Amino acid sequence: MSGGAFELRRVEKNYGELSVLAGASARFEAGRAHVLMGPSGAGKTTVLRLLAGLETPDAGEVVRPADARLAMTFQDDRLLDNLTATANVRLPHARLRGADLEAFLARERAALVAVGLPVDSRPVRDLSGGQRRRVAILRCVLADADALLFDEPLKGMDEKTVAQVMDYVTPLLAGKTVLWVTHDPREKDLLPDPVLWTVRDGLIFPA
Amino acid sequence: MPRSADKSHETGGRLGTWGARLLAVAFWLVAWQLVAWVVDARIILVGPLEVLARLVELVGTGEFWASVATSLGRIGAGFVGGVASGVALAAAASRLPVVRALLAPVMGALKAVPVASFVILVLLWVSSSNLSVVIAWIMALPIVYTNVCEGIAQTDAGLLEMADVFGLTGLDRVRLVYLARVLPYFRAAVSLALGLSWKAGIAAEVIGLPDLTIGEHLYDAKVYLDTPSLFAWTVAIVVVSAALSAVVDRALGAALRRWEARP
Repeated sequence: MSGGAFELRRVEKNYGELSVLAGASARFEAGRAHVLMGPSGAGKTTVLRLLAGLETPDAGEVVRPADARLAMTFQDDRLLDNLTATANVRLPHARLRGADLEAFLARERAALVAVGLPVDSRPVRDLSGGQRRRVAILRCVLADADALLFDEPLKGMDEKTVAQVMDYVTPLLAGKTVLWVTHDPREKDLLPDPVLWTVRDGLIFPA
Repeated sequence: MPRSADKSHETGGRLGTWGARLLAVAFWLVAWQLVAWVVDARIILVGPLEVLARLVELVGTGEFWASVATSLGRIGAGFVGGVASGVALAAAASRLPVVRALLAPVMGALKAVPVASFVILVLLWVSSSNLSVVIAWIMALPIVYTNVCEGIAQTDAGLLEMADVFGLTGLDRVRLVYLARVLPYFRAAVSLALGLSWKAGIAAEVIGLPDLTIGEHLYDAKVYLDTPSLFAWTVAIVVVSAALSAVVDRALGAALRRWEARP
């Protein structure tokens, strides 16, 4: 079960002259899926980065659960190009050794097969963009984390692949705090009973 | 194209490249022999056949192998020390700007000062038997330091953010995030530093004249106008250098491939 809630309190965030968030407040309850939608450039990714601790607000407060273990997908995958898919997925479990490592490797291989990825010794630089995205999703959902942050994880995937990925991913989200950023309203139907939010005009509204 | 056809095409291409290289070497060997015949003065120039004969003689002696081993051991120790300290200092400099600022003039000086000046200076401070160790160290250090610093600086900020989110710290962060970016720079530095350390180390031996080393034999050959030996030892230096470079490069390449392909 996940820890406490994530919260934004009257948060302001500017990039130079550009105001992205202007007094945004929202409380993301723990153990639930939250879908953040909104037009491009509305500040969805900024919200995610603030909640992940990768940005500091110019004003207001970001509340994160103490000792929260996070996992995240980024828009640009952020894989270690010269390592295999399994080595990338295992990155948050860098200390595994012996039987634990073997057990996790077996789980990784099953996960790769489940989402339609090859199990081989190629570095991920040799994979296609769609395949790399799936590796990044697996790294996130197989991390031992309380809160999972997804930044447009299914962008550019065809419907068949989306179904294949979500069949594997959805059961793993149960009981965890999920923050799912998308601009595609259809994605809210892929998650179990999500809380919907809209990011617009520098604010966050319950949808 | 079928895979077997690809492979045979690749093999044919490699053979062609090697054939062209061998032909070029053969051309220069023939030219060298012809010039030796024309000059016809053994003190000034001997042909490759005579050099080869002298080299075969030398290789048959225990003194040859003892000298190669002594030079290799000392220069190798200095080189390994230079690589290790270059990596450690680069890591410290990348973390602490004050270390980087302090080391900048030192590394600049190490790169700019001629080897001969270092050899003479270092001879004032250490025995001649340790001279090549220090000189090889001095040659390797700034190259490895500069390249590793560059590799660390080139590490993708996005990957470091990713490591932050996943709570990757300390050695895991170095092993998984930094190493990937630094390894190509490190490999290039090792390759370059190895050749320079070897050549500079031998030059130091020629000046310092420690017993039973390649440098001492080179010096003796020059003093006694033993030109075939001079050439033969030079060939030995080149062969050892090429072999070292090939072995280290292959070992690093194999280690890198194994690391990349691990599940």
